[in-house]
Amino acid sequence: MSKIKYFIEQSWLLVTASFCFGLLIAVTDAALSPRIRENKETKLNRLTADLLPEAKRVVEVEEEIEVKLAGGKKERVKVYKAVSEAGECVGWSFNAGGQGFADKIELVVAVDKNFEKIAGFNVLVSNETPGFGDRIKSSYYRSQFVGAPAEKLQLVKTGDPKKIDSEIVSITGATVSSEAVIGIINTFLIRIKEQMQQKELIGNGK
Amino acid sequence: MANDNKQTTGLYRRALLAGLWRENPTFRLLIGMCPPLAVTTAVKPALTMGLSVIFVLVCSNLVTSLMRNLLKPHLRIIMFTLNIATFVTICDLYLRAYLPDMSEILGAYVPLIIVNCIIIFRAEACASKCGPVVSVLDAIGTGSGFTIALCILAGIREILATGCFFGVRVMPGGFVPWLAMQMPVGAFVTLGLILGLISAVTRKKEA
Repeated sequence: MSKIKYFIEQSWLLVTASFCFGLLIAVTDAALSPRIRENKETKLNRLTADLLPEAKRVVEVEEEIEVKLAGGKKERVKVYKAVSEAGECVGWSFNAGGQGFADKIELVVAVDKNFEKIAGFNVLVSNETPGFGDRIKSSYYRSQFVGAPAEKLQLVKTGDPKKIDSEIVSITGATVSSEAVIGIINTFLIRIKEQMQQKELIGNGK
Repeated sequence: MANDNKQTTGLYRRALLAGLWRENPTFRLLIGMCPPLAVTTAVKPALTMGLSVIFVLVCSNLVTSLMRNLLKPHLRIIMFTLNIATFVTICDLYLRAYLPDMSEILGAYVPLIIVNCIIIFRAEACASKCGPVVSVLDAIGTGSGFTIALCILAGIREILATGCFFGVRVMPGGFVPWLAMQMPVGAFVTLGLILGLISAVTRKKEA
């Protein structure tokens, strides 16, 4: 009994403060999250437009596309159809995320209209180490994906970064972040492509 | 009575002014040196970082001061950390909602305010021993000193690296930008020169 009393005496302030601070963060998050989501959507549209310059607007695909992640967990993915001024499909984009070195990395990946070539990727959210992991945003790394085949990509330590193929040259000092990006794209791209084919959203001249 | 008032005013003035020069965290105490080196490529992010630190310092010092009589000595550091982490999270959410571009530029450096030793130092040295008014004035003084230091560093680097100040062109047309000033080396060189200058001036004064 005296032990419990001692525990309460010592920790009541910590427990109460944790509860109050947690509540404060929850209230702030609830108040600001709609605006943060809106900012994220705006950024997503801007980044997609950067990757697919011919696109006039993006339309969310209504069909449910799910990706099975490691550990059996399924994640519903938002896939967007990029449409030109003439109303033709010029490509597709989707959000993809996974664990990076420091925190979760979220990407916007764009592919051509037949899901054959990658049009590029942009970083939506990343807290990778400044000066190292955050170089996944650099043109050196990102340009290697532009025009690469929409199939399983491989990370290599040495090679010609200007050569456009399925081999991506890693960033020196940021191997984990480079691997994370490849892993995210491989996980999402292949599974989304399969489902898009199954649902006949791509192929057959569509 | 008049003497008491004079003493209190003196205490408040000292709390407010100490952080600006005599105990400036960047130029005199050399603590919390990560942001001065990392976010001073331009004045706008430096100012945002400075204002974020002022907000966190004021809130953390105020809360620490209000609970100072309840703090157990062996649990005080965890209480400070909890307190600081809460306000840093709120600040980060606010920046992501209202200043998304700035939040993106500052990246991981805003959450890293949690481990900035200026804040825990002021909580330990001032807020856990003084009343709320002195603690808040101390936070404003220290935070302002830190912000001014960041802006001086960022101003010099931005002018020399881009020819602009706060995004406005200030250098003549023929000016060749010193790109090195935008790189980490620029931060180290500028900081080193400023520290050398301050040291020379203070030594002269003391002599």
